[in-house]
Amino acid sequence: MPDTATDVAAARQQGDTARRASSIGLKGIRKEYPGGVVALESVDLQIGAGEFFTLLGPSGCGKTTLLRILAGLDEPSAGSLTIGGVAVTETPPHKRSVNTVFQSYALFPHLSVRDNIAFGLKMRGVAGAERDTRVKRIADFIQLGELVERRVDQLSGGQRQRIALARALVCEPDVLLLDEPLSALDAGLRRKLQVELLRTQQRLGMTFVFVTHDQEEAMVMSDRIAVLNDGVIQQIGTPQQVYERPVNLFVARFMGHDNIFAVSARHERRITTPIGELTGERPCHGAHVLIRPETIELSAPESEGVEPGKPLNRLFCRVEERFYRGNNVEYRLALEEGGTGATLIAEISNCGERLFRVGDRVRAEIYPEDVVALGDEGSTS
Amino acid sequence: MTRRSFKRALGIFWWVTLLFLYAPLLVVMFYSFNSINSSARWGGFSLRWYRQLAGNEVIIAAIGNTLVLAIVSSLIAVAIGALTGYGLYRHRARRLGLLIALVYLPIVMPDIVFGIADMTFFVGINRLTGLLSPGLATMVIAHVTFQIPFVALLVYSRLVGLDATLFDAAKDLYASPAQRALHFLLPTLRPALLSAFFLSFTLSVDDFVISFFTAGPESATLPIYIWGAIRRGVSPEINAIATLMIAAVALVAVISLALGRHRGRA
Repeated sequence: MPDTATDVAAARQQGDTARRASSIGLKGIRKEYPGGVVALESVDLQIGAGEFFTLLGPSGCGKTTLLRILAGLDEPSAGSLTIGGVAVTETPPHKRSVNTVFQSYALFPHLSVRDNIAFGLKMRGVAGAERDTRVKRIADFIQLGELVERRVDQLSGGQRQRIALARALVCEPDVLLLDEPLSALDAGLRRKLQVELLRTQQRLGMTFVFVTHDQEEAMVMSDRIAVLNDGVIQQIGTPQQVYERPVNLFVARFMGHDNIFAVSARHERRITTPIGELTGERPCHGAHVLIRPETIELSAPESEGVEPGKPLNRLFCRVEERFYRGNNVEYRLALEEGGTGATLIAEISNCGERLFRVGDRVRAEIYPEDVVALGDEGSTS
Repeated sequence: MTRRSFKRALGIFWWVTLLFLYAPLLVVMFYSFNSINSSARWGGFSLRWYRQLAGNEVIIAAIGNTLVLAIVSSLIAVAIGALTGYGLYRHRARRLGLLIALVYLPIVMPDIVFGIADMTFFVGINRLTGLLSPGLATMVIAHVTFQIPFVALLVYSRLVGLDATLFDAAKDLYASPAQRALHFLLPTLRPALLSAFFLSFTLSVDDFVISFFTAGPESATLPIYIWGAIRRGVSPEINAIATLMIAAVALVAVISLALGRHRGRA
């Protein structure tokens, strides 16, 4: 979806804080390690200037390898890479205007916080006085001014994370790469730094490429997400597209969905699944369908239903289990007729209406457009 | 045996060990201040043997040889050994079994074997080419060969203990290969290089066997001199030399301990 990338970039460029930001182009990038292990199959990717782009996938999917290729720390076995329109496939890392925030932070233990932040500028030959000004400015920017004289081993995890970010940002790179920078932190601090990181990116208008295995983090932060598995991009899209319209079984499972059913027979828009016959929006080709629990409407079987007269899938069920979660309630439903023993999960937001009890008969209603067909793995959007 | 008496036995064992370790040194130090020529009877405190030492040109020359040999060989060994250690680290993913064994073999090889082998080898070269006649040069070469494995081991273990992403971070932050060596590798390795130097230094001062086989007539070191002198009987002068050596080694040990503690904090 290149349109989205351009839109995002355009929106960002209009911001008055926008500095230079570079687009990234990857074409046929392949990485094969000695011994025949393929980390990346031919990856094609366009990342817009000023975009917050996330590479999402399980460990070993190739996302970190892709990031290292962008940084120049690994060389691709085949394919080409451009940053800001300039071919950099062969450029060594110290000559690329790209900086990385490493997962382990990789702060130099022999240097103070100040010297760690100043390292990149010093290597580039930025003069002492200007170096001091820029270090001070960035230290104030991420609110660690009082820490600059400390030694690295006197800092907490969250502080180290910030120093690592400052050390990369101070160089004002065209592209900032972040390799699971928050994964070592506890949940509370993590959410706080997610917001901080996102605001930083929006203020600077810099292109961020972010690597994570956490789909919630990816959705919160990103303009667009690329989901990777086994070195192949499964889907590229906005968080909404990837979450609501996963293209295949892998993406659906990885985004945390469980209401997934195998399709045993199909005729035009009618499909047969373990929860009975359903009507989809379009003729279905995939082997599975996803029904997101929050799209299911529940009502008492004798009531009129949600929208009488609309083409709906109506399933009569019995409540088997109920999980009360405060803001929402999850029901596990057993089909009364037409099903083959499968369980349907419905999630109803808790707006003070009467809750169903275990054993109640309910009517579940599913709109055809909420029956999401999942294609075969490896196909891209 | 009850638990309590076992503990007491362990305590006794500890003190006996300490006694056998340090009592001989204390005896030597004690008699170096003896005013009479005896290592059995105490004739009163005096610095007589130290004065005699200071006037003995052979001993002064031996001390000079020992220091020159130790410093020169340690500097060379630190340079070569550090490169070896770094090379082993850089290529640790490859199978380096045989190479590592070759580098570390000198640590376990008996000195006498090396001493004889070195001597034969150097004499052979000398006969063929006229180069490498026995003297300080041959001793430096021999010492460097047995110091290298220790330096390489120290540097290698320091590198293995580092977060490997630090190397990536240095590259990522625009450091060229030369800048990485100067601004990242050297400062990071400095404590290891200093310890390696002091270890090499003490190994060199300590060595008798290999020095003995590779020395020439003019290049006797302190241990060689002592060995020669002792054949004419233990004199209080030897006690004085020994005391000075104990003091010197203790000083070096304290320095490297202090460095080690500093590294522990850094």
